[in-house]
Amino acid sequence: MSWALFWKIVLIFCLSAYSLLVVAVSFGGIKNIIDMLKELGAPRNHE
Amino acid sequence: MDVFSTNFATIDWIIVIVYICIPVVIGVIVRKYVRQLSDFIVAGRSLRLFIAIATLTGTELGLVTVMYNSQLGFKHGFSAFHVGIIETVCILAIGLTGFIVYKLRELRIMTIPEFYEKRFGRNVQIVGGIILAVGGIMNMGLFLQAGARFMMGVTGYSNPAGLKIFMSIMLIMVLIYTVLGGMVSVVLNDFLQFVVLSIGMLVGSYFVIQKIGWSNLFKAPDVVDKASWFNPFAEGSGFGSIYVIFMVVLTFSAGALWQSGTLRALAAKSPKVAKQLFAWGSISYLARRVIPMLWGICAFIFVSQSPTLLSAFQGPDALNSQFGMPIFIAKILPSGFLGLIAAGMFAAFMSTHDSYLLSWSSVITQDIVAPLKKGHLSDESRLLITRISIVCIGLFLLIWGLWFEAPVSLWNYMAVTGTIYLAGAFTVVTSGLYWKKASKTGAMIALCAGLLAFGGIGPWTRGDNVPFYASDKFIGLMTFAIAILGMIIGSLLFPDKDKQTEVAQ
Repeated sequence: MSWALFWKIVLIFCLSAYSLLVVAVSFGGIKNIIDMLKELGAPRNHE
Repeated sequence: MDVFSTNFATIDWIIVIVYICIPVVIGVIVRKYVRQLSDFIVAGRSLRLFIAIATLTGTELGLVTVMYNSQLGFKHGFSAFHVGIIETVCILAIGLTGFIVYKLRELRIMTIPEFYEKRFGRNVQIVGGIILAVGGIMNMGLFLQAGARFMMGVTGYSNPAGLKIFMSIMLIMVLIYTVLGGMVSVVLNDFLQFVVLSIGMLVGSYFVIQKIGWSNLFKAPDVVDKASWFNPFAEGSGFGSIYVIFMVVLTFSAGALWQSGTLRALAAKSPKVAKQLFAWGSISYLARRVIPMLWGICAFIFVSQSPTLLSAFQGPDALNSQFGMPIFIAKILPSGFLGLIAAGMFAAFMSTHDSYLLSWSSVITQDIVAPLKKGHLSDESRLLITRISIVCIGLFLLIWGLWFEAPVSLWNYMAVTGTIYLAGAFTVVTSGLYWKKASKTGAMIALCAGLLAFGGIGPWTRGDNVPFYASDKFIGLMTFAIAILGMIIGSLLFPDKDKQTEVAQ
């Protein structure tokens, strides 16, 4: 396999995988933020 | 074609200005959630997987990352991609095995030198804290300069005074919201910036590929050597075997122990989440390298097609190659979208700065000032010291960024200054966690050995008009080797008499 072909595969994989990750993290992250702020806002003891 | 001509218009300025106000507003709003030091530094250890990935990416995909990777692509072509592959494999390996990060999260520490204290005692913690802070602050010394060059290239504002103006405004914005909201503010801004920047980069990639053409992209320009454009081991590629080995060692150690990234693992909800964060985050690490390098490659192909532009990057008065990518996108992206990209990059600039400022200031407080005070510091005092440290580091960055010009490429500067801390830290943490015979003396020698990496930014790395020549990659690799040897020899010759808490057990 030539270097050019190898880098082409790497580039296609990177753009596809990152697109999927961005979609998943964008939606999942909003729920995570709500949970985090609820947790930080709740009364608690010092660690 | 005018070198600094741009599609950046009034609407783009409006988009950027509106966008940069958002983080400050968030900083003010979330201030009420910061009630104790662990809230400020590790967001109360409340990060779940998705938000942890977003904030890790937000931190590690900064404007400076985009600049140094696009510079690598601009100068070396596809052969630069090997750095991305190496880093991705290293991060994935850490995520799958939990090497270092799982155990550190289990210990519930907030900084790496805190581990030094638990395993090797207070003196090692203080020395480690100083070296970490020095290495880390030096490492971010050129962030402002690179950020300002990007903004100048994109906006077409080529007045030298513009550099100083951009740098000052950028810094003030970051300082305000980091000082106010700490990690909670940083996490929320990182998330916003992750979304904006990622979409901007993916859509931007479509535009740059469309401009150059998919088939032309994989043809080396006539003005470069075809073999070295693709093959990192080829002579003339600027890399070679020693560089590749150095990258393996550096990216693996940085992946596990770079304070800003590790801070995300330490802030994770559980050790399991810390592990998953690195496994899934490896995709982000690939993207943060490959996409900017792609833009840099396209920029060079574009420049090589215009004699005017090409001549601007050649000869004794050549423009810094960091300008290549911003000048390119300023000419091909449509107005409006260019403003969004600039805002996204500005966001990236801020998300890296906020985390790094928080990382190094928390080390100064927790690992230098507090141990010197023998722990007699209230949470309020620690918060105050952390906030003052953030402002002081910001001032240093402004001064250093104004006058220092690195003798090597931006990435190589980052690599060698990162080694100042990483060579010692990787050796000390790994041996502290996994080798029972590791001693205080060995740890001290390993940490101090990291200072040898300072040689990697000396004038002798230029190779001209100097009494001797040593490449930055050789100095970096040797620093790691000496730190590891120092730990082994120091521990075997000078074992600990009074055993500290055996974390390894």
